[in-house]
Amino acid sequence: MKKSKWIMLIAALLPLALFFFPMWNIKLEAPQYPDSIGMNIWINKITDQNPNDIKNINLLNHYVGMKYIPEQMEEFELFPLVVGIMSFLGVIVVFTGKKYAYLGWGIVMVGLGIAGLYDFYIWEYNYGHDLDPMAAIKIPGQGYQPPLIGSKMILNFKATSLPMLGGYLLFAGIALSFIAFYIEKKFSKK
Amino acid sequence: MKNLIKTTTFLLMLLAVSCSNPPASNEEVADLENTRPKGQASVVDDESAKNILQIAAGSPDHTTLVAAVQAAEIEHVLVNAGPLTVFAPTNAAFDLLPEGTVSDLLKPENKGTLATILTRHASPGSYDVPALQKLVKKGFKLYMATGDYLEITQEGEDVFVGGAKIIGTIQTSNGIINVVDKVILPE
Amino acid sequence: MKTFHLIFKIFMLLPLMWSISSCQDGSGDKKGALGSNIAEKVYVAPGEHDEFYAFVSGGFSGQLAVYGLPSGRLFRVIPVFSVDAEKAYGFNEETKPMLETSYGFVPWDDSHHPDLSQTNGEIDGRWCFINGNNTPRIARISLQTFETEEIIEIPNSAGNHSSSFVTENTEYVVAGTRFSVPAPQVDMPIAEYKGKFKGAMSFIKVNPEDGHMNLEFQIMMPGFNYDLAHPGRGKSHGWMFFSTYNTEEAHTLLEVNASQNDKDFIAAVNWKKAEEYMAAGKFKEMPADYRHNVYDESTHSATSNKMTTVKVLDPTELPGLVYFLPTPKSPHGCDVDPSGEFIIGSGKLSASLTAHSFPKMLAAIESESFDGEAYGIPILKYEDVVGGIVEQAGLGPLHTEFDGKGNAYTTFFISSEVVKWKLGTWEVVDRQPTYYSVGHLMIPGGNSRKPFGKYLLAMNKITKDRYLPTGPELTQSAQLFDISGDKMQLLLDFPTVGEPHYAAGLPASLITENSKKYYKLEENNHPYAIKSESEAKVVREGNVVHIYMTTIRSHFAPDNIEGVKVGDMVYFHVTNLEQDFDVPHGIGVIGANTSELLIMPGQTETFVWNPKKVGVWPFYCTDFCSALHQEMQGYVRVSPADSNIELTWSLDDE
Repeated sequence: MKKSKWIMLIAALLPLALFFFPMWNIKLEAPQYPDSIGMNIWINKITDQNPNDIKNINLLNHYVGMKYIPEQMEEFELFPLVVGIMSFLGVIVVFTGKKYAYLGWGIVMVGLGIAGLYDFYIWEYNYGHDLDPMAAIKIPGQGYQPPLIGSKMILNFKATSLPMLGGYLLFAGIALSFIAFYIEKKFSKK
Repeated sequence: MKNLIKTTTFLLMLLAVSCSNPPASNEEVADLENTRPKGQASVVDDESAKNILQIAAGSPDHTTLVAAVQAAEIEHVLVNAGPLTVFAPTNAAFDLLPEGTVSDLLKPENKGTLATILTRHASPGSYDVPALQKLVKKGFKLYMATGDYLEITQEGEDVFVGGAKIIGTIQTSNGIINVVDKVILPE
Repeated sequence: MKTFHLIFKIFMLLPLMWSISSCQDGSGDKKGALGSNIAEKVYVAPGEHDEFYAFVSGGFSGQLAVYGLPSGRLFRVIPVFSVDAEKAYGFNEETKPMLETSYGFVPWDDSHHPDLSQTNGEIDGRWCFINGNNTPRIARISLQTFETEEIIEIPNSAGNHSSSFVTENTEYVVAGTRFSVPAPQVDMPIAEYKGKFKGAMSFIKVNPEDGHMNLEFQIMMPGFNYDLAHPGRGKSHGWMFFSTYNTEEAHTLLEVNASQNDKDFIAAVNWKKAEEYMAAGKFKEMPADYRHNVYDESTHSATSNKMTTVKVLDPTELPGLVYFLPTPKSPHGCDVDPSGEFIIGSGKLSASLTAHSFPKMLAAIESESFDGEAYGIPILKYEDVVGGIVEQAGLGPLHTEFDGKGNAYTTFFISSEVVKWKLGTWEVVDRQPTYYSVGHLMIPGGNSRKPFGKYLLAMNKITKDRYLPTGPELTQSAQLFDISGDKMQLLLDFPTVGEPHYAAGLPASLITENSKKYYKLEENNHPYAIKSESEAKVVREGNVVHIYMTTIRSHFAPDNIEGVKVGDMVYFHVTNLEQDFDVPHGIGVIGANTSELLIMPGQTETFVWNPKKVGVWPFYCTDFCSALHQEMQGYVRVSPADSNIELTWSLDDE
């Protein structure tokens, strides 16, 4: 098998890592939480960074009227399906051995990634803005939306949002598909 | 660029100064230690009942004893919670010693010997005259702070400890002073 | 060019900043001018941690105080033998059984000698043991939770003073009686003491897994007073040494009558031999009445068990079990050096210290060169067992610990000083005054094979003018010395809880890793625990009402309760649903004849309230838990005894 095919195979399989590793992490740091509290976002669930973190985030957030972090979301059913299908298509693409199929797969993945991030942003926006009018603490004009990526101060908390291993492996997969395309293109030129 | 070098040099100098400057000098520390009370004997308290040292210090008949206690640096023992019984030789008792003995003992090099002699005049426990008479009756000896025992004898009402006669007793806040007419020396 | 300048600037500054920080970092460790700054030696910056834990007994407070060294900061007072309203210890239903004794509920004791569990002769950071002096008991404290987990009462004992000392693998905790008493107790004239009173030495077996204690056997000794004890270690492992006084067996005016003998004894007990005799069935089973109280972390509740017998060994009939080492003048401390070779006797009325040699003792036993016997127990010849004497070291020696570098440190009560001397050469090398009248001292790990000879803590009985006055009752104190150099250096002088009678210390690293942060809710097996607000309920059984309540920031569930009547017995079973480090909630209700509850995350606690008056009565959270702590409250409506108000409960009217 050609080198580019191997690379494309790895590219196609890497998204499956999302079933084994969390995709994203949002954590809150404050003086009273020296170890930070946070949550790990998977393609099908949200889990504690440390035991009971989600419970404690909910406890803190209820003072400003934020909703509880959901246990169920449509995305949790959709995302695994999409990842599974894309991985499967990727493997088929490998066997076609066509460089533009590699490129096409990569572009679709980028598109899906952007859609996913947009969805994540919308969820964050709602989570940070859709507040209970009965909340004990109300600060006019204050939103509690966590950053899409990077860090930001929300009141006395430093909120940090960054990809985790699953997410990085996904990016690597997408990048590899373009590399596979590039190599294939170079070879075919020769 | 010039400015930059200036700034850096200044900062480096600052650093050198801040590093070589000790937070507090040795002398200051030493001074602090000297001004601290040196022990329980220097507690200022005019209200409580007087302790053995305070009473002895106020007695015109015991100036030699007090001077000796200070020379031996055992004041703190005499203000301890006790209870202690001190057999306190009067100035006259010290005068009975061979000439030069007292001034010899007061020399700094004899501090240890003096402390031992004085400690031999103290017993851990409360022994006024009736208590000592009881010891006589039981045939007990008196245990002294140095670890040796002194013979107690009785003639009529008079009680003798190590050959010294008790000529008066004073209750104090931390024990008993039995005034004696002789310095008790090792046999 | 501008960018270049900026980058260049940053690069110039980097090493500078590094050198500034390294200058600051190094200053704490450097010797010389900087190192001599006393304040710096005890300064632990805000947010920084101390290097050592010190567990200092509270004496007549009955508790155990936890300090950090070198800062002397007080972290916690662990309630052990005395009730503590702050922590509901002895007030809530869960911990009341901890203070049950054969005399009923005893709310106080005098806690004296903490000692730490050991493995292979080294401190292992698992448990702290401490004795209750007045109503004889031994307690075990978990160093994961800093809670008292177990208390065992000691029968046939009185004035449980020569306790609680731990053997080198925590096989046993020993408890010797200060007072000899008739055993079993009997109505008899006090004057017939001599020969009839007995002194029980108790050997409490410790389960290596969970630390649970069992009174394995007692050795019924002659009617002396037993003062302190220490275990053999290394070569002397398998032996336990107890100091005795009043070998005169006086029953009155002991200050005179018990100070007559020129020498009392250190009793050397071969507990390995005792185990052989136990295995061979050479014990007598004796009726006894004592309690064994165990706190279960999973039910958050204690139970008190009545015990009825004790196995007793008679040293007068069992050869090789006990030997007496003559020791001058009412020895208090009997302390074993890290190698296990020397047993230091501190005759408290003596001016010198006696160091018995363990190898010499074995040789003397071998050659049977005895100096008579006392009640059938062989007395070894003083000259045969003495390994060294520290002559005229001070007045009133009490207690010795070791730094592991060949030095020993002894306190002298009457001359109010700590004296440093050398093992083997027996010469005094330094002395420092204490302010004032020092009792015991402590070097972290000082009672083990591996002392951490950096600090020494001297505990003083009297402070007089050392602090701002507080009326006639003054604090007692502890004084910290740096013993890392040739001369001891006084660093710090800090006030203590109750009487700082004795202490045990260890490096913080042995504890911090295992320290519990909160109790897991799913592991809570309290019979009245509920795991969510939806399970909250109120149940009536006759005139007993059980409220199953939860707390979470910042409300109780339920917080409105109706249908309670005057004369009811109302149990508040409160579960703290929090699962976060350091978020306790408390609860107090108006007029309750008990303390508040202070409930740790994941824990359930219970108190009883007997409503006496008709009305609507509030309860509230007593621990400042959160931003809306002041909103964390509720009401109980109390109706007349004959009313028909239905039992209802709600939160937010739901």
